[in-house]
Amino acid sequence: MTPASLRAWRWVHRWTSLVCSVNLLILCVTGLILVFHHEVEHLMGTEELDTSFTEGQAPLPLETLVATAHRQDPALEPKFVSFDPEERGARYIYLSPPGARDFEGGRWVVLNAYTGASQILKQPTETLTGFLLKLHVDLFAGFAGQMFVGVMGLLFVVSTVSGLVVYGPFMKKLAFGILRFGRNTRIANTDLHNLFGVATLVWAFVVGLTGAILSFSPLIVGYWQNTEMASLIARHAAEPRAGTVVGVDEVARAGTAAFPGMDLAFIAYPGNDYASDRHYSVVVRGHTELTQRILSVALVDAESGKVVETAETPWYITALLLSGPFHFGDYGGLPLQILWALFTIVTGVVTVTGFVVWLKRPRARAVAGMTARGTQGTRA
Amino acid sequence: MSGVWSMPVALAVLSFIGLASAILGDGIWHWVCWAGLAVPLAVCALKLWAQWPGRA
Repeated sequence: MTPASLRAWRWVHRWTSLVCSVNLLILCVTGLILVFHHEVEHLMGTEELDTSFTEGQAPLPLETLVATAHRQDPALEPKFVSFDPEERGARYIYLSPPGARDFEGGRWVVLNAYTGASQILKQPTETLTGFLLKLHVDLFAGFAGQMFVGVMGLLFVVSTVSGLVVYGPFMKKLAFGILRFGRNTRIANTDLHNLFGVATLVWAFVVGLTGAILSFSPLIVGYWQNTEMASLIARHAAEPRAGTVVGVDEVARAGTAAFPGMDLAFIAYPGNDYASDRHYSVVVRGHTELTQRILSVALVDAESGKVVETAETPWYITALLLSGPFHFGDYGGLPLQILWALFTIVTGVVTVTGFVVWLKRPRARAVAGMTARGTQGTRA
Repeated sequence: MSGVWSMPVALAVLSFIGLASAILGDGIWHWVCWAGLAVPLAVCALKLWAQWPGRA
């Protein structure tokens, strides 16, 4: 590498890191607790979903559950029914004002799928984990905040890559993992930064990148809805109407029949962003940790109950869904959560030591000294 | 491969295998995941412990 390109990489590493460092520390502290959000919620008694059922018991028809939810708020309309692979006894039903296509202004009702018992979901901001999650995701600044955090995530990714590039030349004459605590603050922090940074680089890169992808999820999902979903819907817009409207259970049966062996992920009602004005979308997923993140869609005519077309979701939706586990670390039991937390702490140490290395840069002190002297000189 | 890169590359490969394996299955895949990801952290801890000021 030429001295000029090394200087450029060091500049990139310094500034991408510095710009995202404050946000990164917030992400580390909140993320450290959010890794254990189930455990924290359980401890604080805020996670009281009763999704119990006896094996072999049949769940209630969706129509019954939707009607139960609807009774809680008759002014709203059911728009969306969601299924959770981790909570087989739960149904999440979204109600929103007539005409609303998006997920604003409505409410979620959570029901036990076997008893129809309603579960009270606290407003996210009323719980500790909800508060931390909001801080983590958008700094309490809504969509703009979420985009900001996403950009910080991308800067962090660039910082890890550029850090790797400048690591090589720096370590040319040094043994791996050398920690010179006896020397000055800058050297001690540099050594710690280099060891911790390079050892956890792959984890930091993956968590940073998946975090950025998740931050941009509204844009990614919006793009899908406006391109592939829109053209899928447009292909059936002119079909003649039958005049009747079929029930959601029949729609679910028709949709799942098109994908043997797959599980329901969600059903969007006509008029929702994920469906058309006259079609339901029945979205299914696989069973395994990997395939439950790969979705397929069946567009079901609300009047005939027939599947008019099926589609796979594009690669970027799969990438978005796969980013979840690789960001949350929730796919390998408690030991993985603990490892995730330890990596988060190490990343925090890398952030702080990197900042100290920058603070203690030799040139800046000389410059500061000269400026101070210069000011005194002018005054005198 | 030069000495500078042998350890970082080894740790990166182990991290990568660790991250990927638990998504592929349960049981043995989880153990591979935990073991793979534990190594980089253990290396950090060992280096820190061995060179802590006041030791040796």
